[in-house]
Amino acid sequence: MTTRECYELMGADYEDVLGRLMTEKLVKKFLYKFADARDMEELKSSLAAKDYDTAFRMAHNLKGVCANLSITRLGASSSELCEELRDGKYTDQVEPLLATVLADYEATLEAIGKLQAEEG
Amino acid sequence: MQNTVLVVDDMEINREILTEILGEEYHVETAEDGRRALEMIEEKQGELAVVLLDLMMPEVDGFAVLEVMQERGWIEKIPVLIISGETSVKAERKCFDYHISDFIRKPFDNALVKKRVRNVVNLFQYQRNLEDKVQEQTKTLREQNKLLRSQADRLKKSNTNIIEILGTVVEYRDFESGEHINRVKGYTRILAQRLAENYPEYGLDQDKIDIIVSASALHDVGKIAIPDNILLKPGRLTDEEFACMKTHTSRGSEILQNIRNAWDDEYGKISYQICRHHHEKFDGRGYPDGLAGDDIPIAAQIVSIADVYDALVNERVYKDAFPKEEAFRMITEGECGKFNPKLLECFRIERQAFEDLKVSYDHLENKDNA
Repeated sequence: MTTRECYELMGADYEDVLGRLMTEKLVKKFLYKFADARDMEELKSSLAAKDYDTAFRMAHNLKGVCANLSITRLGASSSELCEELRDGKYTDQVEPLLATVLADYEATLEAIGKLQAEEG
Repeated sequence: MQNTVLVVDDMEINREILTEILGEEYHVETAEDGRRALEMIEEKQGELAVVLLDLMMPEVDGFAVLEVMQERGWIEKIPVLIISGETSVKAERKCFDYHISDFIRKPFDNALVKKRVRNVVNLFQYQRNLEDKVQEQTKTLREQNKLLRSQADRLKKSNTNIIEILGTVVEYRDFESGEHINRVKGYTRILAQRLAENYPEYGLDQDKIDIIVSASALHDVGKIAIPDNILLKPGRLTDEEFACMKTHTSRGSEILQNIRNAWDDEYGKISYQICRHHHEKFDGRGYPDGLAGDDIPIAAQIVSIADVYDALVNERVYKDAFPKEEAFRMITEGECGKFNPKLLECFRIERQAFEDLKVSYDHLENKDNA
C-alpha cells in the first residue's frame, strides 16, 4: 500500500499534506508518531473523570494534529467534539460525538497500521 | 547574530514538524509548555531570533507567556509568532494587543511558515541594526559636538586675545589710557546688561554682550595713528589739530578692516562698529559719518556713553576731573551731545553702579601709587 492509498482509506487528503510537509518520508514519519501518541487515551480518561478542561484541550490537540496531517475525516469529528466541550461545558451531544471520533480514530489507526505493516 | 528559533507547543508532533521545516535555516530549540518556554527565553535571550508560540497549552498557556514577556520587556527584543489552531478573531486580536509579530493558523503551510518566520526575523534584525547604528551615530555626534565646542572656545579665546593685544598697543601709546580701557569695559557691561533687560528689542544676549564688552577695548585703537604732538598735547587743540584727532575713528576702523580675516566675523563687525562710530551722536551731529538714531550701531552707542563718562570723571591732559554729580548731569542734560533716550534711561538706573565702579578703580590706583 502506498501512502496515498493509506490516506484514501482513512478519509484524508494526501495532496494537501504533501503540499504542507513536502516529502512522503516526512508524512510517514509523522503518521507513525500520531499512531503512537497517547492523546486519545487521555481524552477518554479525562472525560470519564469529568475533567472537561483537559478533555477540551485533548480534543483540540487531536483536531490540530489532524489538520496538520490533513486527516480530514477524524479532523472534522474531533473538531465538532472540541466545540461541544469549549469553555468547560458538557452537553448530551458529547457522548455521541465521542463515539464518532472513536470510530474515525480506529479507522485511521487501522489504515496507518496497514501501511506500517507492509513496510515491515 | 541571533539564529535560534524557539518552538513552544505541547504537541510533540507539532514541535517536530516545525523543527523539520525550520531546521535547515535556523538552530531550533523546543519547549513543551509555557513554563519551560519562559525559562529558555530567559536563558537564551541574546540568541533568540524568534519564538513560535502555541496558545493552548496545559497550565502556563500562550497568553500567560505573552503576559510575562511583556512584563519583562522581552517582547520588544524578541519577535513572537503565534501558531495556533485557535480560530476566533477575539483570540487573534488579544495576541496582537501583546505586540506579537504574526499569527499563523493551524494547519499551517510549510512554505508559508518558512517565509513568515524569515520575514519576522529579518525585520527584527533590520531594526536591531538600525538601533545599533543610531546609537553609534549619536555617540559620534556627541564627540563631534564636544570637539566643536572646544574649538569654539579656542576661537573665542583667540578673538579676545587679538583684541587684548591691540588694546595694549593703544594703552602703550596713549599715556592717559592707563586703566581707561578697563573702566570703559566695566561701564559698557553695566549699560549693556541693563539695556538687554529693559529693551529686548535690541536683541542683546549674553554672547553678544561679552563680544561688545571685549571689543570696547578697541574703541580708540585709531589713536596709534595720531601724531604724539596732537595726541599728548596738554590744553585745547586747534581746529586743525582737532580735525586730525577726530580721524582716530576712521583710521581705527581701517586698521580693523585690514585684519578682518584674522578673526571671527561677529568680533570683527562689532569691533569695527565701536571703533568707527563711538563718536556719533543720536541727533546726527557726531563724527565721522554723522549717523543718527539707531542707524548708529547699538554697540557703538553703548561704548560712547561709557567713554564720555570715563573722560568726564577722570583727569585728562586737556582738563581736570569733573565731580560725579556734575558728570551725571552733563550727560543726562545733553551737554556732551545727544544720546539715545533709552540708553540714558539705563544710565540713570545704573548711576550708582557707575559711581561704585569709579570708586573701586580709584582704590586700585591709590594702592598702586602707595
